Amino acid sequence: MKFYRKLPGYMNMWTVLSMVIVLLILMPNLTILISFFTQTTDNWEHIKEHILPLLLKNTSIIIVVTGVLTILIGTSLAWLISAYDFPLKGFFKWGLILPLAIPPYIAAYTYNGILNYTGIIQTTLRNDYGIRVDQKYFDIMNIPGSIFIFTLFLFPYVYTITRAFLANQSSSLIENARLLGRNAFEIFFRVVLPISRGAIIGGASLVLLEVLNDYGVVKYFGVPTFSTAIFQTWFSMGDLNAAIKLSATLMFIVFAILIFEKVLRGRKKYSYTTAKVKPLTPIKLTGWKAWTVFFYSLLIFSLGFLIPFIQLLDWMFLTFEKIASPVFTQLIMNSLLVAFTGAFMIVIFAVIIANFTRMHKSWLSKSASRITILGYSIPGAVIAVGISSVFIDIDNLLFTFYESFGMEASLFLSTSLFMLISAYVIRFLAVGYNSIESGFDKVGNKFTEASRMLGMGMTKTFFKVDVRLIKGAIFSGFILAFIDILKELPLTLILRPFNFDTLSTKAFQYASDEQIHEASLASIIIIVISGIAIYLFHQVLEKEPK
Amino acid sequence: MYIQIKDLCFSYTNQGDKTINNFCLEIEQGEIISILGESGSGKSTVLRLLSGLETPTKGTISIGGKIVTDDRTFILPEKRGIGMVFQDYALFPHMTVAENIQFGLKGYSRSEKKKRIDEVLELVNMEKFKKRYPHELSGGQQQRIALARALAPEPSLLLLDEPFSNLDADLQIKIREELKQIIKKTGITSIFVTHDREDSRAIADRIITMRDGAAHEWESLCTVRNTSNTYDYEMEIMS
Ligand SMILES: Nc1ncnc2c1ncn2[C@@H]1O[C@H](COP(=O)(O)OP(=O)(O)OP(=O)(O)O)[C@@H](O)[C@H]1O
Ligand SMILES: [Mg+2]
Repeated sequence: MKFYRKLPGYMNMWTVLSMVIVLLILMPNLTILISFFTQTTDNWEHIKEHILPLLLKNTSIIIVVTGVLTILIGTSLAWLISAYDFPLKGFFKWGLILPLAIPPYIAAYTYNGILNYTGIIQTTLRNDYGIRVDQKYFDIMNIPGSIFIFTLFLFPYVYTITRAFLANQSSSLIENARLLGRNAFEIFFRVVLPISRGAIIGGASLVLLEVLNDYGVVKYFGVPTFSTAIFQTWFSMGDLNAAIKLSATLMFIVFAILIFEKVLRGRKKYSYTTAKVKPLTPIKLTGWKAWTVFFYSLLIFSLGFLIPFIQLLDWMFLTFEKIASPVFTQLIMNSLLVAFTGAFMIVIFAVIIANFTRMHKSWLSKSASRITILGYSIPGAVIAVGISSVFIDIDNLLFTFYESFGMEASLFLSTSLFMLISAYVIRFLAVGYNSIESGFDKVGNKFTEASRMLGMGMTKTFFKVDVRLIKGAIFSGFILAFIDILKELPLTLILRPFNFDTLSTKAFQYASDEQIHEASLASIIIIVISGIAIYLFHQVLEKEPK
Repeated sequence: MYIQIKDLCFSYTNQGDKTINNFCLEIEQGEIISILGESGSGKSTVLRLLSGLETPTKGTISIGGKIVTDDRTFILPEKRGIGMVFQDYALFPHMTVAENIQFGLKGYSRSEKKKRIDEVLELVNMEKFKKRYPHELSGGQQQRIALARALAPEPSLLLLDEPFSNLDADLQIKIREELKQIIKKTGITSIFVTHDREDSRAIADRIITMRDGAAHEWESLCTVRNTSNTYDYEMEIMS
């Protein structure tokens, strides 16, 4: 292929901007990988010998057990909901997604608040029944506790993807198995699990990436993992290089998971491309079977949403007057400010890159699209380390420039909101991009091509035609990114400017200071906003013609 | 020759077989050419290469004496002044009929635009449908609007990709006649793609047959044999 022939088609603003954005995204990650091999630090030997094995052990245990449990719960619920009719099924169908609205760190301190010495369970037992319990049975601030939290609040990733797959793709296989007289368990283990392997693994790998990204749960529970170790070496030991080395190690684990996913999933994507899909006809359950399934769904829904939500509501009413103040209003404003700005930038960048990658089918555009979604797999702690090093370097470079303006601060950029927003963009660009890319996919290229045949260039076409046709996708991309930023903890915690608090950082701080009740209002706001968004998206997805 | 295509090569993937292999064609001004061939033989691809929506790996295209594609030149599709009627019409769903037609009228004053819109709508007999949205039109009506939209900016070449494939058989025969009248009236050089021999015979001055197959089969037969007998002429690009 003669590249220079293709060059004129590439020579436009869209290509240039896309390349710039992709490089900006790549920079912090590359910094980490490069420093891993070049920088040396005294602490590293010590860390490698004494801390790293523990980190690896904890991380592997949490990942493996959480992975297995979320697969079991997520897949079984997906199967029951798709294949059977039972009481309140219509409600559970989307209600079982709701645990995603509660960020795991909020769930962690809520459950601890429910279970600890002063919590509702122990006080009731003590005061009403005179029972004193051994604290060790009620302690969840350990590895099993973290697994409990991660499983309950992340399983919907497996559930939603698998359910979507089962609803659309599998009817003929499963109905055949039914006709052949297989019983329900045989069908589940011999047919459902194997055919939905790709979807299950896709969902489970999202869960694992979320677990690796987590900082709040493990920090609050005091379980040493990579995220906590990175922050500790960075802030307590003041050793950025050691933090970088830990980050790079974590990145390798992430890459391993991504490769593992690819290999396990094989070439198949989530869906076959059969033109007409016939939805699976649900079988009506009766008697004890119906009630068993009902109570199983209810149990998971209660543990994953209802119980923590009611507890938080209760605490909120206790503390509402104390908390709701101008300071709190400021928190909300701050959260909205960063979420809005971040989501706005994400959508703009995502549109630019998506418009570039759909016009050119080449290795260049393929890599651009890969890199764009890479950020979502990189844990927040790693992005924080990477972006800080880049910004500190930039500040050092600009030092003389700052001086000539007579500015005091030598670390101008690396203490600004700008750095935090950039980190959000890197981490959540994938969210906006996926939405917008699928919008472009749905519309296809024909209108764009028609417009160009009528004499409009790429940019004019974009504003007059493309934007009008994908505005729905742009809007959903914006909302999804907005919610993700609103819930985000590790990046915000580390990269925020001094004295700048958001709902999530404040909630986490209250909880860390043993003021669990005070954390409830901020938590409720986050949960309600996320819950509404999840509900809306669920409705939209259901209605959409397949 | 008004349009000259020489040794055009193209493939969608980097490895793999060539979709277009040493394709040659010369067309005189005002001629109506039909490209006939089976599904997958590369007919649409030739139109995409001509219009600049794809870049050939090799070969030259010139239109009206101006080179639009060769080793050094590549004119972007929006600069080529080519009109195209797409297989599924691709009328912009968020614009009315009038807005769709007006879309391509760059550099016209407001009154000129209005006049031109009325002109082309009259040409395709659709004056009454100015304010409608595409989804409020029948398939045949959409097809005529797509034609009007493509003709409005007075392109130097009109490309039509299977213009009848979305119409039922009766309508197809009626519209085919109409289309021929319209194109003849404007005198525009046109290439239309079809897999229906009857369509080709009914409209074209000259028929080019494309066959899928070993790539080099086309090479040697690049020259156009000429004949005065318009309708019965067929050029086989086969060995
Ligand atoms: N976007 C694409 N990517 C990869 N291959 C393509 C693409 N478009 C077409 N092809 C392949 O190129 C070949 C020629 O396709 P083309 O659309 O030009 O055929 P056609 O003659 O127009 O067929 P039809 O009559 O069905 O429209 C086919 O084998 C097709 O599979
Ligand atoms: Mg075609």
